[in-house]
Amino acid sequence: MNKSSSILKKASEYLLTFLVILTLNFFIPRLMPGDPFIFLSSSEGQVTITYSEEQIAKYKAYYGLDKPMIVQYTSYLANLLQGNIGYSIYYNNSVLSVIGKRVIWTVSIVLAAIFISCLIGTVLGSLSAWYRNGTFDKVLYSFIIAISEIPAFLIGIMFLFILAAKLGWFPLSGGIKTFANYSNSVEKITDILHHAFLPVLTLSIVRLGEFYLLSRNSMIAVLTKDYMRTARAKGLHNKRIIFRHALKNALLPIVTRVFLSLGAVFSGAILVENVFNYPGVGRLMREAVMVRDYVLIQGIFLFVAVTVLTMNLLADIIYRRLDPRVN
Amino acid sequence: MEHSIIRVENLSVCYHSEKRRTRAVNKVSFNLDRGSSLGIIGESGSGKTSIALAMMGLLKKVATVDGQVYYEDKELNSLAEKERNLYRWGKIAIVFQNSLDVLNPVLTVHEQILECLLRHTVLTGPAADEKVVQLLELVGLKAGWNMHYPHQLSGGMRQRVLLAMALSCDPEILIVDEPTTALDAMAKDEIVRLLVKLHREKKFALLVISHEMQIISRLASRVMVMYGGHIVEEGLTKDVLKNPLHTYTRGLIQSSPAINPYRDLWGIPGEAEQNNPEGCPFYDRCNQKILECQAKLPLLEYISLERRVACNRGGITTLLTGRELHKSFVFKGKTIKACDNCDLTIRSGEVVVLIGESGSGKTTLASILAGVSTPDEGEVLFEGEKIKGNSATSRKNGLQIVFQDPFTATNEHLSIAQVVKEPLDILKLGTKDEKLNNVRQALQDVQLPSDDEFINKKCHCLSGGQRQRVALARSLVMEPKLLIADEISSMLDPSTQANVLRLLKGLQNTRGFAMLFITHDLALARKIADRVYVMYNGKIIEHGSAVEVFDSPKESYTNKLVDNLL
Repeated sequence: MNKSSSILKKASEYLLTFLVILTLNFFIPRLMPGDPFIFLSSSEGQVTITYSEEQIAKYKAYYGLDKPMIVQYTSYLANLLQGNIGYSIYYNNSVLSVIGKRVIWTVSIVLAAIFISCLIGTVLGSLSAWYRNGTFDKVLYSFIIAISEIPAFLIGIMFLFILAAKLGWFPLSGGIKTFANYSNSVEKITDILHHAFLPVLTLSIVRLGEFYLLSRNSMIAVLTKDYMRTARAKGLHNKRIIFRHALKNALLPIVTRVFLSLGAVFSGAILVENVFNYPGVGRLMREAVMVRDYVLIQGIFLFVAVTVLTMNLLADIIYRRLDPRVN
Repeated sequence: MEHSIIRVENLSVCYHSEKRRTRAVNKVSFNLDRGSSLGIIGESGSGKTSIALAMMGLLKKVATVDGQVYYEDKELNSLAEKERNLYRWGKIAIVFQNSLDVLNPVLTVHEQILECLLRHTVLTGPAADEKVVQLLELVGLKAGWNMHYPHQLSGGMRQRVLLAMALSCDPEILIVDEPTTALDAMAKDEIVRLLVKLHREKKFALLVISHEMQIISRLASRVMVMYGGHIVEEGLTKDVLKNPLHTYTRGLIQSSPAINPYRDLWGIPGEAEQNNPEGCPFYDRCNQKILECQAKLPLLEYISLERRVACNRGGITTLLTGRELHKSFVFKGKTIKACDNCDLTIRSGEVVVLIGESGSGKTTLASILAGVSTPDEGEVLFEGEKIKGNSATSRKNGLQIVFQDPFTATNEHLSIAQVVKEPLDILKLGTKDEKLNNVRQALQDVQLPSDDEFINKKCHCLSGGQRQRVALARSLVMEPKLLIADEISSMLDPSTQANVLRLLKGLQNTRGFAMLFITHDLALARKIADRVYVMYNGKIIEHGSAVEVFDSPKESYTNKLVDNLL
């Protein structure tokens, strides 16, 4: 297969995936019971004011929700093509700017968590592989398997309880102190890091097992390869054997997994953000679901889907860069 | 041994997994001089590669290595990894067996060769880069290939890269492990030529490991034969090839189609699985084993100046020797010399073909050897004892003869059972039931029915091919060590002849008895002969290994025979 046709094939694969996601994205929120106008003028979760039938009809007409599904669907797609992803019913603001305000928080903790879990996981995994079947490996292996079985929200709540509520080392909620005046930017950054610490820690622990197991397996496989024997026969320094010969091969699946796991980390972030009341996209999504803000929900889903697809694409590209065997 | 560059002493390698310990190499010793060459040959799993890995010190994690490896006077096995690294590649380099994974898939060829230079030589920077290109040119790869990744190379090119890499730091010892596996015939030949050339130019000591005899014969002047982790034979390659002295070596050589272009292929029967750790490793598959072999591990001992063999019986034994045999007949006042000063030896387990036209004295010689007729002069020894009359034929594990004409050799009025059983009856060997069992077994061996109805038939009911097989069965009940087959197939039609011969050769291969096959048919002789005697006018005019005699006959008569065949 030549290069351009394989690119074309890849592109059409991504396009098809994207279309399926868009469709699901449109229909799933609309399958939920209730509609946005029950919640429109109430605070979150509480129904205080009810609209009259007449008003609801008027709003529905205004947002185009009275039209048949298929018409709504096509106009949704048409709007998307123009880059218009809609206007939040609840926040009275464009979806893009609502998400935009939140996204930086989520992306920061997600990236930090991936970085930390990948780094620690790979180092521990490689060490485990090196000392395979030794005490170190056996203890570490059981320990990591055990903690990666605990659900994210449970770990989060535990930290919240002990480290934040009981010991008071960390703030209980939020991403930054409300109404604070900072004398300089260092102070502000410290405060943000202070708030981010527990969410990042929770997310990192949740992802650690995956990277640990992956790098351990990958390293074990690499260590038995013939080229490792060749490298040892050549009398090279251990450092070069491990980092140039072994790790370069063992890293291949790990790097790919970093990108592929972004989607999973996002879903983890939704839970963790809600536990820590962290002002990211995850919490925004919960709020949007609570008030049936279809347009916003769609927007968030779309954002997540685009992110995951982009990361898949990046994984593909980077793998090609790293492994000369993939043309 | 002062000038030996590397000495291996009592090297043992034992692999241990959770379930079992496997002894891969057992007290192997050898040495290599500067610029010399040594081959190690053996079936897969015989421990060849383990020796190489142990010499490089690459078995620490997976196996226990005992014994010493000396580089000049430095013992390497006791060194720490760091010190040992100074000897790796710079002094001793290895060309590993070619596989897709033997080179690192994510590094370029250039980098993989370069790192050796940077580690072990003084070269750096552009000079080192330049050297990589030179090395690749040395092994016949054009500039430009260095920037490729291993998966982009063909098997032959990868082999060249491995070679260039091994030679990068000008090692004094080069170990080459199966240099030609997975290569086609052309690439194989090129790699062997390249190795020969480089060995001549670079003067490193070369250790070649291979299971292919013709590779060893082209690359190594000395050879060690390995079986089950033991060295069973060692000597100059051309001598070993010409005259193997261990039954295993012989089997190995005979299994090589490149060395035996004419003969049908017969492998060594049995599997390489050792069941008696104390005894001879080759016990289960050896054709000349004795009780002692089961319990006693033979040591590698010199049996001639350049040859060592590990065999409790001192190598392949000589079964039959005919010395200066003379026999004349007087016919109407004219003396006919049927046998004129004939010498002949037959060793255990080999097929010797005596070839000659009718009237050349073959049958006379055969009957002298079997003790059927007495020579005028000379003597015949069977297992060291002089044959007198039927002394060798009238016992089990002795000598048996099958004649040309099955119709006169088997009494047509007797039943098949009677014919086959006769020798046992005469010698009173075994009870009635045992004898009958022996008969049935022998008939099954020659692929005849063994039911009551068949064995009670009279011989005259049988066809020529069947009668000949009955005669054969009669010899086999005596479990001979040597079978003399005198033109046994000449009276059979081509298809029956082919069947009988394949049957006989098959029996010979599995049972391991020796055979003197007498024929005038050269084409037939080439199919089965290990060694050949050519007889003409009562004299043995030429003898040697089958390949020698058929490929480069010395006598004009033999030449004519071979030419007629073509």
